[in-house]
Amino acid sequence: MKILIIDDSRTMRRLLSSFLAPLTENIAEAGDGQAALTVLGQEAPFDLALVDWDMPIMNGLDFVKTVRADSRYADMKLMMVTAQNGFDTVSQAIEAGADDYLMKPLTEEMLFDKLRVLGMAE
Amino acid sequence: MKTDLHEQLIKDLLIESFEGLDSFDRDLLALEAGTGGPDILNRMFRVIHTIKGTAGCLGLQKIERVAHVGENLLSLVREHKLTVTRAIISALLRYADVLREMLHLLETTRSEGDRDYSEVLQLLRDLQTPEAAAPAEAAPAEIAPVEMAPVGAPVVLDEEVAAENGWGLFDDSAPTPTPTPTPTPAVPLSVTPAPAVPAAAVVAAVKALPKVSVPSAPVPVADAGAKTSVAETAIRVDVAQLDRLMNLVGELVLARNQIAQHLVTSRDAGLQAVAQRLNHITSELQEGVMKTRMQAIDSVLTRFPRIVRDVANELGKQVRLEMAGRETELDRTIIEAIKDPLTHVVRNSIDHGIEMPDLRTQAGKSPTGLLFIRAYHEGGQVNIEIADDGAGINPERVKQKALEKGLITPDMAARLSDREAVSLIFLPGLSTAAKVTNVSGRGVGMDVVKTNVERIGGSVDIHSELGQGTTIKFKIPLTLAIIPALIITSGGERFAIPQVSLLELVRIEGPDGKNGIETVFNAPVFRLRGKLLPLVYLNRTLELGGTSEMTSADDVRNLVVLQADGRQFGMVVDAVNDTQEIVVKPLGKQLKGLTCFAGATIMGDGCVALILDVLGIGQHAAVLAENRAGTNTSTAAAETTDEGNRQTLLVFDAGENSRFAMPLSEAARLEEFPRGKIERSGRREAVQYRGAILPLIDVANQLGRGPGIVSPDVLQVVVYSDQGRSVGLVVDRIIDIVEEKVVVERHGLEEGILGSALVQGQVTDLLDVRGVIRRAAPAFFTVAPSL
Repeated sequence: MKILIIDDSRTMRRLLSSFLAPLTENIAEAGDGQAALTVLGQEAPFDLALVDWDMPIMNGLDFVKTVRADSRYADMKLMMVTAQNGFDTVSQAIEAGADDYLMKPLTEEMLFDKLRVLGMAE
Repeated sequence: MKTDLHEQLIKDLLIESFEGLDSFDRDLLALEAGTGGPDILNRMFRVIHTIKGTAGCLGLQKIERVAHVGENLLSLVREHKLTVTRAIISALLRYADVLREMLHLLETTRSEGDRDYSEVLQLLRDLQTPEAAAPAEAAPAEIAPVEMAPVGAPVVLDEEVAAENGWGLFDDSAPTPTPTPTPTPAVPLSVTPAPAVPAAAVVAAVKALPKVSVPSAPVPVADAGAKTSVAETAIRVDVAQLDRLMNLVGELVLARNQIAQHLVTSRDAGLQAVAQRLNHITSELQEGVMKTRMQAIDSVLTRFPRIVRDVANELGKQVRLEMAGRETELDRTIIEAIKDPLTHVVRNSIDHGIEMPDLRTQAGKSPTGLLFIRAYHEGGQVNIEIADDGAGINPERVKQKALEKGLITPDMAARLSDREAVSLIFLPGLSTAAKVTNVSGRGVGMDVVKTNVERIGGSVDIHSELGQGTTIKFKIPLTLAIIPALIITSGGERFAIPQVSLLELVRIEGPDGKNGIETVFNAPVFRLRGKLLPLVYLNRTLELGGTSEMTSADDVRNLVVLQADGRQFGMVVDAVNDTQEIVVKPLGKQLKGLTCFAGATIMGDGCVALILDVLGIGQHAAVLAENRAGTNTSTAAAETTDEGNRQTLLVFDAGENSRFAMPLSEAARLEEFPRGKIERSGRREAVQYRGAILPLIDVANQLGRGPGIVSPDVLQVVVYSDQGRSVGLVVDRIIDIVEEKVVVERHGLEEGILGSALVQGQVTDLLDVRGVIRRAAPAFFTVAPSL
């Protein structure tokens, strides 16, 4: 399993990465959507990307849209991880092709619940 | 969560949040100034948003809640539902301070504290609903965010509670039997009928996705290297870790130097080659590690927009801040050390430099003052200039103030140039502001700035033009840990002199060199290119024993010309060894009080050498004033001195077998003139000297002792001055300057001779200088100077 964590906050990346550590050693990180695309281009395939919503340069929504428009990454699951709230944002993400959605503040349990739903954890 | 991980995450959060808040402040000020780019509001929102998100994830509910309030306001502003007003900006600045305070508390006490910030938070809430602005009511502030308490830490959130369960878009518990890998990115979650999400749209979106069938193969574990992402090219390293590395590199440099020492006696070519390679690698490693410790000066400058704004507001002044060279890099220890001095100067410039708007208008300036901060590299140093276009410093007022406080004498005051007078503000206890404000007053003044900067081997200089403004210039070394130094020997000991203080090396040998050393006011000086350089004999100053005085013409002495505190002086040492990169090791606590030493280093042979503190040595030997009182030692003029029997004598030959001496104090200067420069008018001889005619008197001739040694091409001349007039006494050869107790035997027979005495064990005639001059040029003492 190979996971990409995309978040502009180092703390969040480290937190998520520590949560995911039991699942895999293959965790890459990127600080914004654009950087994440670069990582994908060089290190794909990934099984899952955790995508923050609000990031500089390229935000999570645009990243999801871009990735979903690229057939190379069709197998990659996309999980939005954000504190954005309201129905609009959630629906936008789903419409754009995100597989699931995780709200901050999150806990390890919440993350693994979602991963189980995606069939990526037991 | 494991505690050390949690600890680490909190550390990350702190660093990230402080950085974010700095950028937040900056953006806020740019917003206020109307200079921000289009992304500015997004960036500000993101900072608070990130703090909220990460704090929440780490269970820091209070910070999260406070961040939330600001996020709401910013989100309104970002969506243009609220116009930015000065009140909003001020409130947000206060708000940022609140967040900082909470983070500081977290940093120091590992708790969020229990301080009450309700006032600021209420202010932010109130600002969300501007009085008559009804449309803003419907802003997303109403769409309360979902605040989920981490498991095991339930928290009651007052106003947000209602919204907590308000979204039920996804049902997490619903099992979704989606196998992995799936051929298509299906929606692996059950969508409950929520009004805002048209199910059809979701389905349509899913359908629109291209179908790809090949599932990705499992990634082999061996591919673990992929963990380091290319996107992340920068990492954070603990400063203590860097310091340890630096220390180790320092030790490596020492070891390298020691190997080099041993190699001198080795004939093993292979070893030589390896050592050479080790040498190169060490140098590169050293450079590399030093670079990792470099930090852009921006980390200091970034505070200034806020400081400038606050200080200016407090004083009712208008100030525009411009900065250049923010990317200039310095060692981080130095960055730490200059933070406070720079801040002090910035505050000072606004407080004392820039005038009130109405005064500026009267003076024909723009009501808004300009403060310009510039940093740039120059000659292995970093220069930082802080310039204002304010009132400038009135040198007369500074002088007066210094006089009042008894820091200088009226005599000194009269002699000071404007520039020197302005520099008096670096004296301890001088404050020129008529009233002491709480911004930069309190007597903690520029002297502290100067001391702090000099402590790290830097310097401060001030240039001010009345009515035009003031520029304060800092010169700061790049690093403190490994410095180039000159190794010298004195009294059998080796010492290191930091290269930054070094101006030049002068080898004193032979009669010419020896004659260069003179005594003025009982202090040894050296004539270097026409300037008198005060001398320090290092062995005497440090009481090492050994001799440094030149007793015979065969002696060779080395003079190290140093600069400290803007002054130059010469240090006489036994030998100059070589220059080396030395690793500065601080002195132990017990030795900290010694002002002559800046530290110690370990030499190639394993011996310890002390690093001289040039400023301290200069002050200790009294060639540098303890407090820059402006006495100009380097141009001190000779006057008659009244020492006891002990006299400093200038010993010279004039005529055959004629050895003379005269008090050195009667010699204004010692000069040499090429014979060709002599001009004759009648029987008189003269040379052009310092823009005037210097009449020459041949001592031997005058006393009937001539002709002596026919001086080849160069005349040795002792210049005597009286009331602005000068005359040159031509001698054959200047032998020495001695300090001796002389017992004069008077004969009273010969005109021009006071008597004779034993000087350096030889019978020497004491010249009656005035008598000789009177005899040769009777008008010299009677006629008023023509100037």
